[in-house]
Amino acid sequence: MNDMRKIEREARMTDTKITARNVNVFYGETHAIKDVDVDIADKTVTAFIGPSGCGKSTFLRCLNRMNDTIDICQVTGDIRLDGTDINAASVDPVQLRAQIGMVFQKPNPFPKSIYDNVAYGPKIHGLARTKADMDEIVERSLRRGAIWDEVKDRLDQPGTGLSGGQQQRLCIARAVATEPEVLLMDEPCSALDPIATAQVEELIDELRQEYSVVIVTHSMQQAARVSQKTAFFHLGNLVEYNDTGLIFSNPNDERTESYITGRIG
Amino acid sequence: MVLSAFLLLLGATLLAYFLNRKAAISIRAGGTQLHSLESFHGLFAALSVLVPVLAGILIWLVLRGSAVDWFLLQSLPEGTFDGLDSGASQLIVAEIKSIAGGRVFGTPDPWKTEAAERLLRYNEIADWAMVALVAISAAVLLWFARSTVGAQFRARQSAERIVLGLMMFCATAAIFVTIGIVFALTFETIKFFQIVPFTEFLFGTSWEPQIPIREDQVAAEGAFGAVPVFLGTIVISTVALLVAVPVGLMSAIYLNEFAPHRLRSAVKPVLEILAGVPTVVYGFFAVLTVAPAIRQFAATIGVDVAPNTALAAGSVMGVMLIPFISSFADDALSAVPRSLRDGALALGATRGEMMLNVLFPAAIPGIVGGVLLAVSRAIGETMIVVMAAGLIAKMTINPLDSVTAVTVQIVTLLIGDTSFDNPKTLSAFALGMMLFLATLFINIFALRIVRKYREIYD
Repeated sequence: MNDMRKIEREARMTDTKITARNVNVFYGETHAIKDVDVDIADKTVTAFIGPSGCGKSTFLRCLNRMNDTIDICQVTGDIRLDGTDINAASVDPVQLRAQIGMVFQKPNPFPKSIYDNVAYGPKIHGLARTKADMDEIVERSLRRGAIWDEVKDRLDQPGTGLSGGQQQRLCIARAVATEPEVLLMDEPCSALDPIATAQVEELIDELRQEYSVVIVTHSMQQAARVSQKTAFFHLGNLVEYNDTGLIFSNPNDERTESYITGRIG
Repeated sequence: MVLSAFLLLLGATLLAYFLNRKAAISIRAGGTQLHSLESFHGLFAALSVLVPVLAGILIWLVLRGSAVDWFLLQSLPEGTFDGLDSGASQLIVAEIKSIAGGRVFGTPDPWKTEAAERLLRYNEIADWAMVALVAISAAVLLWFARSTVGAQFRARQSAERIVLGLMMFCATAAIFVTIGIVFALTFETIKFFQIVPFTEFLFGTSWEPQIPIREDQVAAEGAFGAVPVFLGTIVISTVALLVAVPVGLMSAIYLNEFAPHRLRSAVKPVLEILAGVPTVVYGFFAVLTVAPAIRQFAATIGVDVAPNTALAAGSVMGVMLIPFISSFADDALSAVPRSLRDGALALGATRGEMMLNVLFPAAIPGIVGGVLLAVSRAIGETMIVVMAAGLIAKMTINPLDSVTAVTVQIVTLLIGDTSFDNPKTLSAFALGMMLFLATLFINIFALRIVRKYREIYD
């Protein structure tokens, strides 16, 4: 079976890209993330799975400091990207977010043309000197987003006019246009139909060649299909973190086993 | 009498409700399945008594006065009004009415006293006729409503249809009233343009409407070139918008994105209260504080400024419009989905870049709509301009000069002795018509802009 082949696929052990130690997140009084330690490898797809409200999206948003934009949210602990503390005073969250791209649950193209959607990131970070440079970045990003062939003749049309799956791939292209090192994906397929989901999953597998990809997903099948490493979150705790194949075939923790066999969650 | 008619109607309505409800309950108690709930049978009965009779009472009250007058005129001796113009005959009727009301001056002619007594009798008859009609029609409708009660009767649908009709009436009432206003304006405007040529009004550069009403008054010949008046409105509105648009937008952006939560929750209600300050209060502020301040400041730098200036009126009007624009813009910005903010921030945009490049364009239709509504308000604003800008129409675009506005001229033209066959009075209607058309076109334009540039982000 196709899925099983992917599960069995051996995760290449490479450099660690992100290390997180003792991460705690509070929403006001609520303790949303409890002492989470994770090492996220480079050029690997890491999946965060777990039941709703377990904190997997919250933890993902710690990695590019998106939680800073929520007033009542407080993050403590040590998160390092290539050894640099991302919460240090010297780190500008704006720069950090250019290095760590993010794709959201619901496709959120800007109400601008397809071209401008992709060009927006490079423009605000000054990545292109000339129009030709920008054209090249846009084309390259759209190709990486696996949507170039579908939109190359209508780059000046609004991105909001695309179908849901195309919009999500446009958002992925937009995220890779700033040349990030890590790509965070918060349930990128939950608003898509099965065909669009398959296209995005295929794309995620290709993106692994160049980026470290972290994907939050509700679907265990999806985690099994696309990821090499899987982390299981439950009630704000990181219960188990291991190679995807091991998590799904031979989990250590009883809670993980209950979840993947469908007894909880 | 009117009160007793209303009380009668109220009683009939309540009676209809309870009678039908009771009838429906007894049908159900008899073991038959009802189509509608008992209370809907009651509601249908109540509405079918209330609505027609109420409409009848209102129509009666509107028509009663002229009907009684007609009977009164018919009853007067032949030849009473021979050789009298309409003003004099109205005077006679008014005198009869005041005698009937017990206010007798001097010794009236005996036929007038008789007429007054007849008038009182007519009024009494009219009152009793109304009560009787209300009683009869309410009884008929009650009987009709009671006869509808049955297991199969769709009382809910019928009651809902009546309510739907009422809502439709309310929704269209404003439109019909507006059409009425336009008609009233149109007739007077046409009369005006029969006296003053259209081109003179539209392109003339001199506005001096003070022409004599009576032979013995001394005044200028009169000139009706509306250009300086409209120019005044444009100058004042421009000043107002130059104040209101930047300040309003900046405050909306700050409150929406950058202000700490506590400051926002304190400032927003205050801004909304500002929107409720009567314009006459702003007028005081303009004339007592701002105008002297401008004059003094200008004097210190050696410029002579009129005591009433377009700048004073316009800037205070701008302050008045700030809450208007900022609350519109704030609503428009808040309506942009959170996902677009997150999307921009996640790409590494600063909050400023996000606001400028993503939120603001997405919110522009709402913002433009708010600004253009503010323009309409600036053009139509009267009180501040009357108090602070001046009355003399000058052909100038200098905001430091005293100018007048269309609304101000309308007010001054219609105050005091007026006669409706005089171009001075009629010109007010022509100005009003132009003002109405101008704001109408601005609003249409605003709607078009909003439609055209609306960006669909969901």
